[in-house]
Amino acid sequence: MFAGLIVPLLLLAFAIALFLTLYVTQDGSLFTSIDTHIYGLLKFTLYQATLSTILSLIVGVLLAWALAHQSKFRGRSLLVALFSSSLVLPTLIVVFGLIGIFGRNGYLNQASLFLFDHSFGAYIYGLAGILLAHVYLNASFASRALLHSFESIPKEKYKLTKSLNFSVLERFLYVEYPAIKSTLFSIGSTIFLLCFTSFAVVLLLGGSPSYNTLEVAIYEAVRLDFDIGLALKLALIQLSISAVLVVLSSGFRTGLANLKTSYTLIPWKEPKILRVLQWSIIGIFTLFFVLPLLVIVIDGLGADFGHIFSEALFIKSFITSISFATVSSLFTVGIALMLSNTRRNFTLQTRYGNRRWARVVDAMVAFSGNLYLAIPSLVLGLGFFLMYQKSEGSEIVWSTTALLTANVLMSLPFALSVLTPAMHKTAQRYDKLAFSLGIKGWRRWTMVEYPYLKASLGYVFALAFCFSLGDLGIIALFGSDEFMTLPWYLYQLMGSYRTTDAAGVALVMLILVLSVFIIIPRAFQNKLDKN
Amino acid sequence: MTKILQFFLLLSLSVLATEKPTLTIYTYDAFSASWGPAPKIKKSFEKEHHVTLKFVGLSSSIGALRKIQLEGKRTKADILLGLDTSIAEVAKKTGLFVPHELNTSKLDLPAPYNDDTFTPFDYSYFAFVYDEDRLKTVPDSFESLASMPKDFKIVIQDPRSSTAGLGLLLWIKSIYGDKAGAYWKRLAPHILTITKGWSEAYGLFLKGEADMVLSYTTSPAYHIVEENKTNIKAAKFKEGHYGQIEVAAVLKSSKHQALAKQFLAFMHSKTFADIIPTANWAYPVVKGVKLPKAFETLVQPKKMILMDGKEVQKIRKSLINEWLEGMAR
Amino acid sequence: MLHIKNIKYQYKNTKDTYTYTLECKPSEVVAILGQSGSGKSTLLDIIAGFIEPISGSAMMDDIELLDKPIDKRPITILFQNHNLFEHLSVQKNILLGIDKNLKASTKEIENILKEVGLDAHEHKLTSELSGGQQQRVALARVLMRREPILLLDEPFSGLDDTTRIEMLELVQKITQEHQLHTLMVTHDLDDCERIANHVYKMQNHILIKQ
Repeated sequence: MFAGLIVPLLLLAFAIALFLTLYVTQDGSLFTSIDTHIYGLLKFTLYQATLSTILSLIVGVLLAWALAHQSKFRGRSLLVALFSSSLVLPTLIVVFGLIGIFGRNGYLNQASLFLFDHSFGAYIYGLAGILLAHVYLNASFASRALLHSFESIPKEKYKLTKSLNFSVLERFLYVEYPAIKSTLFSIGSTIFLLCFTSFAVVLLLGGSPSYNTLEVAIYEAVRLDFDIGLALKLALIQLSISAVLVVLSSGFRTGLANLKTSYTLIPWKEPKILRVLQWSIIGIFTLFFVLPLLVIVIDGLGADFGHIFSEALFIKSFITSISFATVSSLFTVGIALMLSNTRRNFTLQTRYGNRRWARVVDAMVAFSGNLYLAIPSLVLGLGFFLMYQKSEGSEIVWSTTALLTANVLMSLPFALSVLTPAMHKTAQRYDKLAFSLGIKGWRRWTMVEYPYLKASLGYVFALAFCFSLGDLGIIALFGSDEFMTLPWYLYQLMGSYRTTDAAGVALVMLILVLSVFIIIPRAFQNKLDKN
Repeated sequence: MTKILQFFLLLSLSVLATEKPTLTIYTYDAFSASWGPAPKIKKSFEKEHHVTLKFVGLSSSIGALRKIQLEGKRTKADILLGLDTSIAEVAKKTGLFVPHELNTSKLDLPAPYNDDTFTPFDYSYFAFVYDEDRLKTVPDSFESLASMPKDFKIVIQDPRSSTAGLGLLLWIKSIYGDKAGAYWKRLAPHILTITKGWSEAYGLFLKGEADMVLSYTTSPAYHIVEENKTNIKAAKFKEGHYGQIEVAAVLKSSKHQALAKQFLAFMHSKTFADIIPTANWAYPVVKGVKLPKAFETLVQPKKMILMDGKEVQKIRKSLINEWLEGMAR
Repeated sequence: MLHIKNIKYQYKNTKDTYTYTLECKPSEVVAILGQSGSGKSTLLDIIAGFIEPISGSAMMDDIELLDKPIDKRPITILFQNHNLFEHLSVQKNILLGIDKNLKASTKEIENILKEVGLDAHEHKLTSELSGGQQQRVALARVLMRREPILLLDEPFSGLDDTTRIEMLELVQKITQEHQLHTLMVTHDLDDCERIANHVYKMQNHILIKQ
């Protein structure tokens, strides 16, 4: 009964150790010396996160609304599946694609130069670029969850609005908005948190210190200035704010487990003007979403792969990335399984759900898994870095541990949001039967749990694999020529303006991520999915 | 029996002796590059000494210092090469370096510099470099630079990671004093981007992304000598030019102290000084080196503006904050 | 004889206490009637061992059931649904919980399937069967387990009338032939009249013999 508590306790203990390391190392002048520079950073971080969230939600709602009302067209489910893949697209790749289109030498400027002899310049570096990338990454993800809410509105309600002769606005206000409200808020808080701790996007598109977020400032304080004091101060501020955000947001529970789409058939056609509007929304967003990926493919195909594949650094980073992704996703799956199992142990009446402290224990376990949403990877990295400085261990061991831990902890909240409900369901369904038949232990896992969890496990594995493969976070602190992952290598190539090689590596990463995200869940699919 | 033992002892000693030590030098990428001075220096130093020189190039010299700080006692570096006198004091404060024990009084420097830890190997002057064919109106002072048309863009380096970026910060400070912050606010709209190191910025400029780049008065010499191109020029500024004396020092953690110090001494040799002008495109610190003809066409500042390293160390943090605020929009 | 003596149970966060007393002789079907939410299924959960009562006893002949771990109790239970593992074959479903190695003479399984009217289905996946057929497989497992107590938790309420009547009669036949003690929870008076020897009813949280 208590064995299942070891992992959550370890997770909590690690978080506390991390916080203590940061807190003890700083000089105690934390809140007395928030100078104008830090204040400016904080202001901009909050400002861009707020704007990004509002824009992502507006675009997400419009898109979900348009898709919900245009429920019958070829390729709709493919489109919806494509949009949900934005979750695993490495930010670096997305930024690379966006620069390819909107950058100073991007296709948009080239076309405009050709047609009107006018270039829009380097507008993408700065707030505009940050917002563009955040909307790209989050609006699609939001629309996916919102679409589900739209689709669960009963048909009868739509019939009612028709018979009451509601306008589109009235229909939205009285029927649709109440249905999507809760999703809107939980997804909004999630997006805010992601934008608040955004690293790669701001690092690449911030352009200059004028558009820095706390997360990037931490990186710069360590990497450029070796000002550990400043980094600590920033990290503790960052940590406190995101912890408050995680507590405030109801968390990640929506939007991930229910990734299947269904059709609401409304028996009448929308008025023509609405249809045009809905089609334009779908069309424009699809273009916006697909073009950067297309640019990566087109530019990538122009790369000299013979040259790229023979570069020692590429081979090194490729092997490192693949092995890290594999190991960390296995760990993620394992830990998520243990945590979910412990949680159902303490929630189900058939198990320990009736015990006195069950609810507290359950909350503790849930908290231990989602806690790491509140710990941005740079803060985590800084903690590891300080531990490394104090210890005698070798650099490679510490870098490896740091990267692995960060990757696992980063994927864990997502993994839990998929596995916990699934495991809860199997237990609810089969606990009584399995208990009365005496099926337990290994036998229970192989004969009962695995067949039902297979699909979720495959999905979680793919998710964690892609997250790990595409992450440019903690590696920014630990990366070097000796320790390199694909995103770090790509970042180096972009930094030294080796654009053709960068395009090739970006394409390799895109292909890797998409194929893993498409193939692995397929391979684990089973006939029981329908139930 | 003893003879056999002695034989084996001698054998093992001779094996140890033939095992070549490796001297690792952390520096900035333009120095270690295949077209930079590193290959030539490696060749001539290895000819004179029983050693393998290994250059590790980072995106900037301050980046190399940070890498050493990150690695702490475990660093593989024996020598850090490429900081300048402005940042050397900061590096010294880390306590990671040892005195060089060289006599540097005979060096040919445009400004006095006598430090017991860091020792110079070349120098130059900061300047904004442009392409004559693309830029028609050339600013001749910081005032005219800030009042260029809206679409005029420059690339500079981050003063936290690049000695060039820090140099500009000090240059402007020494001219504008208390008004430096206000000047940065005026210059900010013209800054296309801020790079981590010099080569990144210079690459952007050569690609045509920016009209001017912060570099050196000696940079055009490269284009004249190597490419036969005379259209790349450095803008002469009325206010004068801030200087950069590049230095190197030996790590305390180095296992090859003697060899490393021999390398520092080698930096003051004629051989080394002959390599510098046409490989690192800067002035050597040794008298009597014949400079290539191209150097005669360069901007020749009368006096080197240079702040004392100790002074810089005191104000660097506040200057950087001032700069960050000037950049914020 | 199965003898439930004054078992008391209280749900978390409620004040109501449920009290159960009941007797069931071999070859008897005892029906437990009540509206949904009246607490009738709770008794089965207690006897089966899914939840623990505050007090009372459940004696099977001379053995106290409440002291035994779930899988050591001489009980087979049938739910309204989820009695089977849909991804396994009929044969494996019957053998699960009986033989650790999932090996039994195929002859025996054939006979039992014949008894419940499901010959030649042993290699099918249970997900391919109809609702009535699935419950027959579950009944086949009851016979295979040879436990003296059979608990039925509204197992046939999802089926159509004809099938339900067939199933009820099958339960009655099995109970008598194998001298089972069968407790059947239902909300349908019709079911009771058809096969029950005795009827108990939940009234104000107390189980009372009719």
